[in-house]
Amino acid sequence: MVWLTALLQLWLLGACGSQIAATTTATPITLYTCVNDTTIQPVIQKFEAGHAGVKVDLFRAPTGQLNARVASDVRSGGLKADVIWACDPLTMQDYVAQGLVGGWTPQTDIPATVCTPDYVGVAVLYMVAVTRTGHQAPATWTDLSRAGKVAVPDPNVAASALGALGYFGPDFYANLKAKGAAQVSTPDDVTTGVAQGIYDAGMTIANSAYAAQKSGSPVTVSWPKPGAVAIYGPIALSKTTKNSGPAQDFVSFVASRDGQALVGSSGSYPTLPGVASPTKPEDTPTVNPDWKALANQKATLLRDYAKIFGG
Amino acid sequence: MRSGLARSALALLLACVTAVVVVPMLVLLRTSWIEGRGRLAEVITDPDFRSAVANSFGLSAAVTGLAVPVGVAIALALRDPRLPGRNFWRAAVLLPVLVPDFVLAYSWLRAYARAGLTSEAFGFAWPQVQGPVGVTVIVASQAVPLVYLITAVGLSTRAEPTTERAARASGARPLTVLTTVTLPLLGPAIATAAVLIFVLTLGTFAVPQVIGSPAGFRTITTLIYADLALGSDPQSFVEAITLAVLLVVITVIVVAPADRLLGERLSLSRTPARDSDWGTGSHATRIVVPIVLALYLIFTCGLPLLALVSAAFTRAVGIPLSPENWTLDNFLAVLTPRTGQALGRSLLLAVAAGSILLVLGGCTAALSRTRSGRAVSVLVALTLVLPGSVLAIGLLIGYGRWLADTVLIILLAYLAKLWALAHRPISAAVDRLAPAGLQAARASGADLPTALATVVVPLLRPALIAAWGLCFLTALHEVTMSSLLYGPGTETLAVVVLNSADLGRIGVTAALSVLVTVVVVVPGGALWMLGRRSRHG
Repeated sequence: MVWLTALLQLWLLGACGSQIAATTTATPITLYTCVNDTTIQPVIQKFEAGHAGVKVDLFRAPTGQLNARVASDVRSGGLKADVIWACDPLTMQDYVAQGLVGGWTPQTDIPATVCTPDYVGVAVLYMVAVTRTGHQAPATWTDLSRAGKVAVPDPNVAASALGALGYFGPDFYANLKAKGAAQVSTPDDVTTGVAQGIYDAGMTIANSAYAAQKSGSPVTVSWPKPGAVAIYGPIALSKTTKNSGPAQDFVSFVASRDGQALVGSSGSYPTLPGVASPTKPEDTPTVNPDWKALANQKATLLRDYAKIFGG
Repeated sequence: MRSGLARSALALLLACVTAVVVVPMLVLLRTSWIEGRGRLAEVITDPDFRSAVANSFGLSAAVTGLAVPVGVAIALALRDPRLPGRNFWRAAVLLPVLVPDFVLAYSWLRAYARAGLTSEAFGFAWPQVQGPVGVTVIVASQAVPLVYLITAVGLSTRAEPTTERAARASGARPLTVLTTVTLPLLGPAIATAAVLIFVLTLGTFAVPQVIGSPAGFRTITTLIYADLALGSDPQSFVEAITLAVLLVVITVIVVAPADRLLGERLSLSRTPARDSDWGTGSHATRIVVPIVLALYLIFTCGLPLLALVSAAFTRAVGIPLSPENWTLDNFLAVLTPRTGQALGRSLLLAVAAGSILLVLGGCTAALSRTRSGRAVSVLVALTLVLPGSVLAIGLLIGYGRWLADTVLIILLAYLAKLWALAHRPISAAVDRLAPAGLQAARASGADLPTALATVVVPLLRPALIAAWGLCFLTALHEVTMSSLLYGPGTETLAVVVLNSADLGRIGVTAALSVLVTVVVVVPGGALWMLGRRSRHG
C-alpha cells in the first residue's frame, strides 16, 4: 500500500507545518501579488528583518491566476489576503469597486498622479520598443510599423498591453496589422521572439527587454516618442484584514524611501522620484494612459481590437 | 450478485468521484448559473465563442485523425522483437511525455520557426508552425505516445497472434491480416485512445496559446484564459467559468455516447500475447521501419528537444550555440535550497497521485461494465477536459475554507485532473481480459484478493505501469493548478521555478525541463526494466 504510506506522509508533512506555525509567535500577514520573485523576495526579507514579530505569507502568481485566486476567495469565505500588490491600476480599480481593498493609504512622497484614496502606485512598468540587432530602432511609435515583422503582446492577457491599447487606440494596431504584425501572448513572448529572430521588432516591457539584452541576446531597447507607456503597479490594504497594524506597516514600508530603494535595486522601476532605478535613458519621455477612462472603455476597446487581430 | 470487494470498490469510487469531480463541477455550475445565467445567451451568440468552438472541434478532430493512425502504426511496428534497437525506439517514442507542453511549444518554435535551428543549420524554416497547422502537428506529436501506450498495452494483453498466424497460413496478405484480424481485435484500445485524445485536445491550452495566438487561432481554452486574465472584473471571471461549463457540456455530448458504444464489447476470451508470438515482419520491413521511425522521431522529438537542451545551456536567446555562449546559469537558477524542498514535495505529490490513481483507475476499469462504472468513467473525463485553472477554481471555492494552502488540495486537483489518464489505459487492457484464469483461481479455492493479485495484476502489469508513469510524470511538472492552489510552504517545483523566472525566460524553464527529465529518467528507467521483465517473465 504505497499510496497509503505516501498519503500518510503527506498528512504528517501538513501536521509538521502546522506545528511549526504554532510554535512561532510571529503575526502572519498574507500578501497576494503578481510582482516578480526577484523584487518581492528582498522586499519581504527586509521588511521582516525590520519588523520582528511579523511574518509575510506570500502568494505570487501572474495576474490571471491572482484574479482567479481572489475571485475564488470571495466565493469561499472572503478575501484571505491582508495586502494586495497588483501590477496594473485596472485590476486594482476592479478590486476597489468590489469593496475588497482600499479606504486607507500611507503617508508618502510618491506623486499624486499614481495615488488614489484607496491605493498607492509603488512600481511601474514601461512599454518600450525592442528591436533585433541590425534593424532600425523606431524613433517614434509610428516608425514601429516600418521596422519589419513586428510582434505585439495580447491586451486580453497582459494588463500592460491593455494599457498600451488604451493609450494608442485601435487604429494604431490596425496600421501595424496591415504591415504584417503578429500578436503573441505576453510581453516576454515578444522579447523572446525578437531575440530569436522570429520577429524584427516589437512592443514589450523595459525590464524584459533589458534582461534579454543584459544576458547577451541581440536586441536593442528604445523608448520611442512621444514616450514609453507607463503602467503603474498599486498596493492596497484589504478591507477585511484582521491584522491591519502589521499590514499597514508593510504597505507603508513599500511606499517609503527605503522600500522604494529596494524596489529599484531589485530590478523594478520605483515610483518615488530621486530613487535609483534600473536602466532608463536620461530624459526619456513617458506617457500615461487615462486609467479611469480606460476602465469604462475596456470592453469596447477589446472588441475593436479583436476585429483587427482575429480571435 | 456482487461481492463485498466489488461493493467496497464501488463505494470508494463513488466517494472519491464525488469529492474530486462532482463537488468542484457543481460549484462551477452553481457559480455560472447564479452569477452568469443572465449573460448566457450573449456568451453563446458571441462570434468569438462560435469561432472558438469551431476551432476547438476542428483541432480535436484533426489531432485525433493524425495521432491515432500514427500511434497505432508505431505500436504495431514495435511489436516485432527482431526489430533492430526495438527497446531504444520504445523509450524514444515516449520522450514528448517528459516535457511540459508549454516548453514543448517553445521548443518547436525554436526548432522550426523563422531564425530557428533548421533555419540556421539548413536555411529551412517552416512558417506554418505558427498557426493552426503547427498547433495540430505539435498537439498530435504529444498525443502519439498516449495512443502508442494504449495500443501497445492492448496488444500485450488481448491480441490474438494465433488468429493472425492462421490467417497468414491460409494465404492472406499482410494488409488483409491487418485490416481483417489485427485492427478489429484492437478496436476497443483504438477507440479508447481516440476518445482520450479527442477529449485531451479539447482541453489543451499551452500549445494553442503559444503557437496559435500569433495567427489569430483561438480555442475555447485560450478564450477562457483571456477571460481569467481580466478576471478582476467579476463579469469576465464568471464568463470564464461559463465557457468552461459549456466546454464540459460539449464533452458530455461527445464522451457519453462513445463510452456507451465502447461498453458493447466483444466477449470472446482471449489469449495474452508474448513478444515471441510476433516477429513475422519481412527483412525489408525491419530495415524500412527503423528509418521511418528515425525520421519521425527526429522531426517530432529530436530537433525540438535539441532546441530545448541548447536553450537550457545557452546564456541567452538568439545567440550562436558556440562554446563561448554555453553556461550553467539557467541550472543554477533552478537549483536553489527552495527548489530542493519543492522538488521533494513534488516527488511526494507525484508518487502519491500516481499510486492513488492506480487504485482509482483500476477500480473504474474493473467496474466499467456496470452502469455506475460507466458513469464514473464519463465523470472523470469531464475534469480531464476542464482547463486546469478552472478546475482549481472549483476546488478552491468548494474546499478553500478548510484546505486552502495545503498540499492536500493540490493532491485533490491532481487526482481530479489525471483520473481519466490512469483509468483509460487500464480499461483498454482490462475490458477483454480472459475471465477464465480468474474463474479457475476462484474455483481452486483462492479468495478474490488472492485471485486478483496472482492472476489479474500480473497480466495487467504493463497497463498499470503505463498508467502510473503517465500520472507521475504529468503531476511532477504540473504548473497551472499548482500555481493557483499553493500557499506558503506548499510550493511545488514548477511553481518555485516559474515564480522566480516567469514564463518568458525560456532558458530557465528549459533547464527545469531538463532537470525534471533527469529526475524521472532514473525511476523511469527502473520502471521500464520492470515492465520489460514482466513482459518477458
